[in-house]
Amino acid sequence: MKVVAIIAILPAIATCVCLLGRPPESAVHTASNQHLFSAVPASSEPATDNVTPTWSRDVAPILYKNCTTCHHPGGGGPFSLLTYADARRWGPQILTVTQSRFMPPWLPEPGYGDFADVRRLDDRDRALLKRWVSDKMPQGEPSAAPPPPHYDQTWLMGKPDLVLKVTRPFTLNAGGTDVFRNFVLPYPLKRTEYVRAMEILPGTPKIVHHANVVIDRTGSLRRQHPGDWESGIAGMELLVDSGNRFDPDSHFLFWKPDSPALVEPVGMPWRLDPGSDLILNMHLKPSGKPETLDAQVGLYFTPDPPVKQPMLLALERDDKLDIPAGDADFVVEDSLTLPVDVEVLGVYPHAHYLGHDMKGWAILPDGQKKWLVWIRDWDIDRQAVYRYKSPILLPKGTVLHMRYSYDNSYANVRNPHSPPVRVRAGNRSEDEMGHLWLQVLPVNVQPNSVDPRLLLEETWMRNRLNKTPTDEISLYNYAAALTGEGKFTEAVSAFERLLALDSADERSRIALGVALDGAGKWHEAIDSFREVLRRNSAACDARFDLADLELRHEQLESAEADFRADIASCPEDADVHSSLGATLQAENQAEAAQAEFRRGLQIAPGNLSALLGLAEMKLDAGESELALQFLKEAAKAHPDSAEAHEQLARVYAQSGDQNSALDELKIAVRLEPNNPQFHSALSQVLGAIGSIVPAIEEQRTALQLYDGDADGWNNLGVLELRTGQTATARADFEHALRLQPDHPQAKANLAHLRREN
Amino acid sequence: MRTLPLRFAVFALFLALSCGLAYSAEPYGVDLNGRPVHELAGPDTRFLVLMFAASDCPICNRYVPEIARLDHEYSSRGVRIWWVFPNPEDTASIVARHNQEFAIRERTVLDSQQSLVHLAHITVTPEAAIFRVDGQGMHQIYRGRVDNRYMEIGRERPQPDHRDLELALDAALAEKPIPQPAGPPVGCSVVFLQK
Repeated sequence: MKVVAIIAILPAIATCVCLLGRPPESAVHTASNQHLFSAVPASSEPATDNVTPTWSRDVAPILYKNCTTCHHPGGGGPFSLLTYADARRWGPQILTVTQSRFMPPWLPEPGYGDFADVRRLDDRDRALLKRWVSDKMPQGEPSAAPPPPHYDQTWLMGKPDLVLKVTRPFTLNAGGTDVFRNFVLPYPLKRTEYVRAMEILPGTPKIVHHANVVIDRTGSLRRQHPGDWESGIAGMELLVDSGNRFDPDSHFLFWKPDSPALVEPVGMPWRLDPGSDLILNMHLKPSGKPETLDAQVGLYFTPDPPVKQPMLLALERDDKLDIPAGDADFVVEDSLTLPVDVEVLGVYPHAHYLGHDMKGWAILPDGQKKWLVWIRDWDIDRQAVYRYKSPILLPKGTVLHMRYSYDNSYANVRNPHSPPVRVRAGNRSEDEMGHLWLQVLPVNVQPNSVDPRLLLEETWMRNRLNKTPTDEISLYNYAAALTGEGKFTEAVSAFERLLALDSADERSRIALGVALDGAGKWHEAIDSFREVLRRNSAACDARFDLADLELRHEQLESAEADFRADIASCPEDADVHSSLGATLQAENQAEAAQAEFRRGLQIAPGNLSALLGLAEMKLDAGESELALQFLKEAAKAHPDSAEAHEQLARVYAQSGDQNSALDELKIAVRLEPNNPQFHSALSQVLGAIGSIVPAIEEQRTALQLYDGDADGWNNLGVLELRTGQTATARADFEHALRLQPDHPQAKANLAHLRREN
Repeated sequence: MRTLPLRFAVFALFLALSCGLAYSAEPYGVDLNGRPVHELAGPDTRFLVLMFAASDCPICNRYVPEIARLDHEYSSRGVRIWWVFPNPEDTASIVARHNQEFAIRERTVLDSQQSLVHLAHITVTPEAAIFRVDGQGMHQIYRGRVDNRYMEIGRERPQPDHRDLELALDAALAEKPIPQPAGPPVGCSVVFLQK
């Protein structure tokens, strides 16, 4: 029976990024952007110093390559630059903004991070534009101009698989300061999907400066704002609760007008589950007239779950942000030592209006310095996520650094306060932030090691706690990471520290129970759950974990009573019904068990525990066809459940369909490469279809992962005998017998060998 | 093409006072119905504000609420505000649609011959000019930005903290020396008529 344990409850600090924004441009994005441009021929005779540049030959190609993705009719730019008349109309402004490098928007200094999709205009193009304007903007021969690029006003990648819309259109005032607003878009489907690409149609692109999409896995923002979430919630930064499983934010879902489609690299889609919300965090700029915003988010799915699991992590120094009024160079720094090898895929520097000079770099264990990013003159209006051209490999022990300076003087025109006032960290745009977000992909992961993202989380949270020891969210996440890593004793003491800060925190006390259980102190775990229930008898998670613990320790009567009490408090929880079903099954109450599993499925079609439980009952009853159906459904609804695939393989193998069994086991092994049982089972199926060499290979892998498996040694011996390796086979049978002296097959096999010789 | 007559170019070196007649036989421009506008000031007008703009200039458009506020606050005090559209592309129908879209209620004149541009020495939109109106005609007392929200394109305050045009109007109404703008106007170049 599948047990739902509270492994990690992460009030997503990650998502507190205001703009926990995400990725504009990956290598894939480049491709998608480029198809916007109809072929722009390289000018055959570029203007030399002596020849007057013309629009047709020299300027149009520059504008088409660098400007018109936004500056086209209906685009995000305030005016179009597609025609000669347009270019001429805006020539003086083109000159101003390209010389000042305000446009195209690109903040990073060249040479400090090798980014993909660099928007910085090269010096030759800038000089050419300057000469064209000073030479009175001649058109040249119209036929020499490249064909203008074509832009669609609709979905770039075709019809999305799902379109989410802002529930209630929002009206932006004609004037006033910029607006930061969060729109909640509930995910309406009843099944999990993997998102390979996302597009945003903002409705009125001109007013949308940028948007970040944050995944709220528990609908927490909607719950915090029951009355007003439909009209959008003000604020620049978000803090969402990431729920009961370790599921760190993994992708920059950052959108700006020139990055219309966010296409994730192959193998790295992001997941959406029933009950999740997307939060569209938007930076809006009033245009002079009231504007209605009815943004749509288009999602493109892939059936394939991710094979690579990146993670977002941040250096940050909000605790030190206390910037005196008038201080023009207030500096904060942070550093973090990597606990595992990672590849850095992208970076997202973030501050508000006072941020000025922002640097990020890494010092490798050999002392080598690698720049991550340097922005000399931060401008929140032009913020972006920057993707590296190729991932930056940073070995374990690398120290990440950030150093941000802030200008809170009157001379900083972006200063929201005039005269300047003391500014601290906070959620409003007039507060400050100092974050350097990185998207990292753990690499060189050793078999049998814990999820490297847990190690990153532990290190990151410890780093935060060193700065702010009483930060409860960090302490919770730290303790939860320890639990996930199986460092239960340390986790227990971290949760105890947390409860010393806030003894009434229900979730921490439940998590303490889970950690105590993991540490083998299951009686104390029961006490912890009961303490929660004493304070709140309707604490469903506590009662579930208590009942589950009782079930696992075969206190079936108590387990049944507690699951039933849990159903009374939380009747709509499918897992409780499934677990009650499992309890009843253990109590040999087949009919009642089946009814509970069915109820679980009614509440949540595809509920894994219920499907696996029913399948097991059908198998016991000899109805393998029905069992197969349930398992197929389970594997389809939970493609990342290794257990579902493994059980399905078992039934296929029993029914003689070895090829299907093989396919399912390969999936199970891919999902859990360190599970020796899966390798053993795969070896058996390979042996059954006559692939003896691969079968031997798999069995050896299984025994490398766990060498105390007498059956495994015996099976390896049998396979080796089939390839004539008699001596090795004998050694393996003997190994099995050393582990289990009365192992009947190993005994018989050894006897057989002796007879043969 | 930029073709400022020489005499205006000379004036433009310092903020000169230009004069015009409150009533001109030659029309200043045309209204949105194509009728010539001969008179900018009314009988009670003490100060005339010409707010030069372009319908396609995003910075101009972001000043629409501010100009509406000034009109609301100053119209009863002898101040008359006109939106002036000098660019050749801003035809009557385009500006009419623009005014409707942005809910512009102030008086509007199309400066089709750019005579007002030359009278007020304007080079950029948005840029404002204030004229004192008396028996002798119109005397320019201010030319420049509305406020300090935009320092340059791409350097923008969250909100202005120095409202140059309003300060000039207050001084004019109080008959005090007129403070001149503390910085240059920022926006879109006027598209000058080609000669």
